[in-house]
Amino acid sequence: MRALLDFISKYYHWLIFMVLEGFSFVLLFQFNHYHSSVWLTTANRVVGQVDAWEQEFLRYIKLGEVNEQLTRRNLILEQNLDILSARLAALTHDSTATERLQAERLSGITTIPANVVTNSVLRRNNFITIDKGEADGVQPEMGVVCGTGIVGIVYMSSTHYSIVMPLLNSRSRISCRLRGSSFFGYLKWEGSHPLFATLDDIPRHARFKVGDIVETSGFSSVFPRGIFVGKVAKIENSDDGLSYKLRVHLGTDFSCLQQVIVLSQQFQPELRDLEQKADSVASS
Amino acid sequence: MVITFLQRMLWMVALVAAQMMVFNYMHLFGYATPLPFIYFLLLFPRGTQRWSILLWGFICGLLCDVVSLTPGIGAASMTLIAFVQPLFLEHMVPKDAVDDLQPGIDTMGFWSYVRYAGLLTFLFSLCYFLVLSFNFFHIVDLGLSFVSSWLLTLLLCLSFEGVRSKRNG
Repeated sequence: MRALLDFISKYYHWLIFMVLEGFSFVLLFQFNHYHSSVWLTTANRVVGQVDAWEQEFLRYIKLGEVNEQLTRRNLILEQNLDILSARLAALTHDSTATERLQAERLSGITTIPANVVTNSVLRRNNFITIDKGEADGVQPEMGVVCGTGIVGIVYMSSTHYSIVMPLLNSRSRISCRLRGSSFFGYLKWEGSHPLFATLDDIPRHARFKVGDIVETSGFSSVFPRGIFVGKVAKIENSDDGLSYKLRVHLGTDFSCLQQVIVLSQQFQPELRDLEQKADSVASS
Repeated sequence: MVITFLQRMLWMVALVAAQMMVFNYMHLFGYATPLPFIYFLLLFPRGTQRWSILLWGFICGLLCDVVSLTPGIGAASMTLIAFVQPLFLEHMVPKDAVDDLQPGIDTMGFWSYVRYAGLLTFLFSLCYFLVLSFNFFHIVDLGLSFVSSWLLTLLLCLSFEGVRSKRNG
């Protein structure tokens, strides 16, 4: 307290000076319109600038919270975008000639769309898992296709999932023919390249050339006739020299397979039962 | 003390009256307006209480504002000069000068007094015209008014001081 009093007594003239100057400026701004308006304008500008700085600072302080909200919102919007993009693509997709033909071939057959859950192309016996099972109507021995050709046959199914034996499995045998002719053979995969398979047993008198289309023959209850399989890439003689062995460039690229369709034919169970009975009669 | 008070009062009234009746109507070349009431603060001797100078300066400026219809301008300028006058005087008189030295041509010498009066009138005119214009939009006019008024004010202050010194001498 004493120090304060000493300070005031030493520098009292500063205090008097500031009081008198303050009073002078009060008079100046109070009784001079011009000075008053300039003062108010400047003061408003300064106060406005200070307010702007304050708001900017407060906004900066709240940026963390805003950022969190934006991230959450962005996540939701990205999910919506993904869903809507998929729907839009499905509605506006310009199907190729193969897909259109495929659709025509599949008319009259119940189709069950499914997504690929697991897939492999590197093993000798590959399998594909799809997210549809018996609860969705999927049964073993049903054919599986995609937009660019056949995929394989349902090997076994559980309630909600099914295992598909694709073309890329050494045990797979699918009856195929050359489009525009009645010559057929069995398509199998030799395990070398995921885009190529072999069509055996094409008779030597058959007329065809490289680039001809290979499609399903319809000689089984699995696939209807005319589903695109691939194109002839190379013509070779069979080992015994009695038939041709065709190297087929497959239409389905199994390495990027995502959506497939399971084909449910109306009379497939009946046809299968009949075939089993015939086999049993023949064996007895 | 009473005589000193009355003398100061007389000087103040006389200078303010002169400002009101004569100098406020002078606008030489449209720019130079003398403000010789600053001479009142030049008279304060060394060692005067600072609060006393501040109060006298403020009252003198306020009176001048009242009669000139410029509220606050003269008071602010005179208060500032009253604040710095002891500092200036202390630096411009010899160290061995008497404690109650009366600033003047006869006590300080002509050039020392010109320097003393010139600096204070310069500061006063600058402050007065800055507060009066309160902007820099017409800075050339402002500069001309300030410089010409300062020189005219200084000339008048030196004249007053010459007369006063001669009377005292």
